[in-house]
Amino acid sequence: MSAQLTLQAPLALPPTEVSPYLEQLWDSNLEASSGAATFVLIVWDPAWLEQQLVRCGRIDGPISGLVSPELLEAARLAVSDCGLPPSTAPMDPRLAWSVGQQAGGHGSEDLRGRFVDSAISAHTPRRLITLAATLDPAQPLETLVAAYCPLPEEGSTGAACGDVVVLRGGMGALQQNLAMIHPLVGDTLPCWVWWNSSLDEPMEMLQALAPPPRRLVIDSSLGQPRRCLDLLVERIATGQALNDLNWLRLRSWRESLAMVFDPPSRRDALNHVVQLDIDVEGDHPVKGLLLTAWIADRLGWHLVNREAVAGDGIGDGIGAGIAAEFERSDGATVHFRLMPVPVGVPKTHPGAIVGLRLICRPEQRQPLCVILCSESGGCMRLESGGMAAMELVEDLVPLPEESEEKELARLLGGGHDSTNPLLAAAAPLAAALLPS
Amino acid sequence: MPAGFSTNLPIGPPQRWAVLLARYRRLAVRVHTHSPLHPPQKVIQAPKRRQKRLVAVKPRAEATAPPMTAILTNPLRVGLRQERVISPQCLVIFGASGDLTHRKLIPALFELFRQRRLPSEFAVLGCARRPWSDEEFRSRMAEAMAATVSEHHSAWQNFAQGLFYEPVDLQQTEHLVRLGHRLDHLDRQRATRGNRTFYLSVSPEFYGSGCRALASAGLLADPDRSRVVIEKPFGRDYGSAQALNKVVQTCAKESQVFRIDHYLGKETVQNILVLRFANTIFEPIWNRNYISSVQITAAETVGVEERAGYYESSGALRDMVQNHLTQILALTAMEPPGRFDPEAIRNEKAKVLQAAHLANENEAWKCCVRGQYGPGGSPATPLSGYRQEPGVNPNSTTETYVAMKVFINNWRWQGVPFYLRTGKRLPKRLSEVVLTFREAPVHLFDAAGGSPTPNQLILRIQPDEGAEIKFEVKAPGSGMRSRPVDMGFSYDDSFGEPSDEGYVRLLADAMLGDPTLFTRSDEVEAAWRLYTPLLELIEDAPWQLPVHPYEARTWGPAAADNLLAEDGLIWRRP
Repeated sequence: MSAQLTLQAPLALPPTEVSPYLEQLWDSNLEASSGAATFVLIVWDPAWLEQQLVRCGRIDGPISGLVSPELLEAARLAVSDCGLPPSTAPMDPRLAWSVGQQAGGHGSEDLRGRFVDSAISAHTPRRLITLAATLDPAQPLETLVAAYCPLPEEGSTGAACGDVVVLRGGMGALQQNLAMIHPLVGDTLPCWVWWNSSLDEPMEMLQALAPPPRRLVIDSSLGQPRRCLDLLVERIATGQALNDLNWLRLRSWRESLAMVFDPPSRRDALNHVVQLDIDVEGDHPVKGLLLTAWIADRLGWHLVNREAVAGDGIGDGIGAGIAAEFERSDGATVHFRLMPVPVGVPKTHPGAIVGLRLICRPEQRQPLCVILCSESGGCMRLESGGMAAMELVEDLVPLPEESEEKELARLLGGGHDSTNPLLAAAAPLAAALLPS
Repeated sequence: MPAGFSTNLPIGPPQRWAVLLARYRRLAVRVHTHSPLHPPQKVIQAPKRRQKRLVAVKPRAEATAPPMTAILTNPLRVGLRQERVISPQCLVIFGASGDLTHRKLIPALFELFRQRRLPSEFAVLGCARRPWSDEEFRSRMAEAMAATVSEHHSAWQNFAQGLFYEPVDLQQTEHLVRLGHRLDHLDRQRATRGNRTFYLSVSPEFYGSGCRALASAGLLADPDRSRVVIEKPFGRDYGSAQALNKVVQTCAKESQVFRIDHYLGKETVQNILVLRFANTIFEPIWNRNYISSVQITAAETVGVEERAGYYESSGALRDMVQNHLTQILALTAMEPPGRFDPEAIRNEKAKVLQAAHLANENEAWKCCVRGQYGPGGSPATPLSGYRQEPGVNPNSTTETYVAMKVFINNWRWQGVPFYLRTGKRLPKRLSEVVLTFREAPVHLFDAAGGSPTPNQLILRIQPDEGAEIKFEVKAPGSGMRSRPVDMGFSYDDSFGEPSDEGYVRLLADAMLGDPTLFTRSDEVEAAWRLYTPLLELIEDAPWQLPVHPYEARTWGPAAADNLLAEDGLIWRRP
C-alpha cells in the first residue's frame, strides 16, 4: 500500500459541493502547503474481477482496486472452477464475467481510490480522481474527498500535496455525473486518464473521460484483440497521447532482441531475416503482434499477406495462429508465424510472450538463429527443427512482474506528452496483421 | 621440478624489480635521448586494438562466425530509450556569447530535443552583455552548429523557436529587473510554469557575485522551481572554495546548487559505479588485501591552445587534478552506498575524499612532481614548448604535467598508494584507471617475462572506452610457462553506438533536479583540502617543487618515473 499522509479523513460530500470544497481547501486550509504543480490523474477503476471474487467469497475485502497476490491466487483457482482453459490469464476479462455467473452475496468495504500505490504517489499527482463503478448498476453516486501529502522519502525535500476525489456508484449514476469531472480537471495541468479495465466495456465512458489532449493509458491485453488494436490505431490517428501498458510490458523483449544485435558484427544479419516465429500464451495475440510489428517497422518490412492458420496440434483448444509474409526492402520474403501455446501457469495478463525465434540467412555466411524465451520450455519448442545447425544465439528474457501501478508510475515519471513513436508506428501494422 | 625450469626460476621481488626497472630505464632512455628532430620510434606502442585481444570475451556464437559488415546503427535500438522528460522549464545561460554555449550547451540541448526529452513548454534564454536580439542569437547558434543544423533542419527550426536572448549585465540592478520581467513573459509565452535553471557559464570570479545578483533579484527564492548550475573551477584553493560556498549557500539551498564537472557526465566514469556495485566479482577484492596500487591517468595530446590566459593562472593541478581526477579517485575508492540515491552517493564520495591525503604532507615535494612541456614533435609537424605558446609568459613556471602519490586512510585502502597523473602534450589522449593486484603468494610457474605480471584491471575512460583484465595463462607448448594476456570489454564492440556527450546527461540531470552527478559543497572542499599542501608549497616555496621540462609528446618528466620507481613500480604505458 501507499505511503500516504492523509491530512483529513475522507469526507463524503454531495457532488455539487466537491469543487467549491476543494477550492476552499487549497485557498485557506492548506495555504501553508505547496500544492503539487504536476498533473491530474483520472482512473477508471471498476475492478470487476476483485468485486466478483469478493461477492463470491473467494477473497476477503476490502476492495482496493489493486492487483494483490491474494487476488491473483484466487483468480487462478477460479479459472478451473469456471471451466475456462488452463491458459486463461487471471486478468482475462472473461474470467471476471465467468465468476460473475456464480452465486454469492458477500459484501465488503470499498476503499478504491483511497489507496494510491507509493510508486504513483511518489510523483505527487495534484489531483487523483477515481471512478469506482459498482456491481449494482443502480447504486447512487457517492463522492469522497481528501487531501494528502506523500510521506517524504528520507533525504528528499518537503512534500508537495494533492487531493483525492472518489466517485463511487453504479454505471448509471457515474454517467449522469460525468459533467462534474471537467471542472475538477481544470486546464492548467496535464491530465492523464488511466482506463484500468477491459476495452470491451462501452466506449461512451472512455470517450467522455479521455477526450484529447488528455493523455490516455490503456491495456491492450484486456479485451477483444480486434477491438483493442482498432482503438489503439484510432486514438493514435487522432494525435492523442496514447500509452499502452501491454506495449510497455514488451520492454524487456525489445531490449533483449536489440541487445543481440548491439555488437556491430551482428548487425548485417538484420538485413537478411527470413523467418520470425512468436509463441504467445493463450489466444490473445495482441502482444505478439505488437512485437512483430515493431520488428517489421524497424527493419523496413512491408506486409504482403496474412491469414489465420490452424495450431500445431499442441493447443488446448485455444484457437488459431497467424501466418503472414513480409517483403524486405531488398524484395526477399520473410515468413512470420504467431502461435498460441498452452501453459500451465499463465502470466497475469492475457497473451504474454513465451518465445521468439528470428532466423537470418546472410549470403555466403552461416545462418544465424536468435531464440529468446521467457522460460526454458519456450526455448525447447523453438530450438526444434535443426536450429542448432546454425549460429545459435539464445537468451532468457527477464520478465519483471511489475504491477500496473508501477508501470503507470513509470509513464507518469517519463512525462511524455505524445505517443511513443515506436508504438505509433507498430500499432497500425499490428492491426493489419490480425486476420479479420 | 622439471629440469627445464631450473634456468628460469622466478626472480624474487628485489631482483624482479631491478629487472623491470632496468628494462624500463632502457625504454625511458630511448624516449628521452631522441631530439625533437628525430622523434622516438617504436616506443609508442602500436594501436591497442591490434596488439591486444589475445583472449577476448565475445558472444559464444560469434567466435565461429566470420565478421559481418558493420552498419551504422542498430535499427532495433533506435527509440528504445524512453527517459524522463524534463519538466516545463526555462534554462537561462549567463555567458551565452561565450564558447561553451555554442560548443557544448546548445548542442547538448538540441540533442535532448531530438531525443524527445525536452517538453514543448521549454525555453532557453541566452544572457550576456552583447546587445544581440533573439534572432541574432538563434542565427549565431545555427551558424556555430551548421553541420548539425543542416542534417536536422526541420528539428532545428522547431528547437530554435524556443531560443531567446536578453542583454544582461549581472552587476546592473536594472538589468536584473528587466531579466525578471522577461522570464515572467517567457513563462506565459512558453508555459514554463516558473521553473528556471540558471547556468553560470561566466568567468569564475563572477560566480559569487552572479549568485548574489540572482538572489537579490528574487530569482532563486523558490527552492523547488529554481536551480543554479556552476561551472568549474569552483574556487582556486581550499579557502576560496569555502568562501564561495558560503556565498552560494546564502543565496540558495544546497539542493538548488549544481556544481558541474563534465567528467562525471561520461558514461565510462559512471560505469565505475556500475562495474563496482552491480557485480559481485569485483567488490570482494576491491581493497587493500588484494590491490597493491592504483594509477589514475588523464593524458592529453593537445597543448594549451587558446586557453593560455586561464591556464597560466591555474595549471594542471587546478585544471585537471582537483576536479576530474579527484572525482575519478572518489568513485574508484568510495564505499558502496546504501542505495542509489544522490545524497547516499555523495556522502560516500565526500567521506573517501576526507580520508585521502598526500603521501607526505609535511614534505609534499617528495610525493609530487610537476612538469612543463618543451618543444617536440616531428620535423614535419614541430610542436612548440609551453613557454613558446601565444599568451604564455616566456619564463612561466606553470605546470602542464603533474604526478602525485596519495593515500586513503581507511580500512579499505590503508597503505595502498594511489598515483595520479595528468599532462598536456603527452603521447596519447586517454584517461584510465589501473588497479594492480597483489602478486600470487607463491610463483609455481616459470613466466615468459621472467616473473609473473601482476594482475591488472584497467578501466578505460576514453578513448576506446571499456575495461580489460590482465592475467597469466599457460603459454602453448610443452612445459608450464605462463604469460600475460588481456580479456577485454569494449563499448564499441558491445554496443556500437556513440554515447551522449557528457553535457547532454548533465544538463538533463540538472533540469530534472537530480544532483547525483554533481559535486556537493563538502566534496569540493575536501578535494581542495587534499591538495592544500601542494598549493601552499607552490605558492610559498616553489623551488622545492620545480617544474621539470619534458619533451612534447613524451610521457612526462623522468622525475615522475622516479616517483614510482621508489616504490618499485612503473607507470603503465598504455
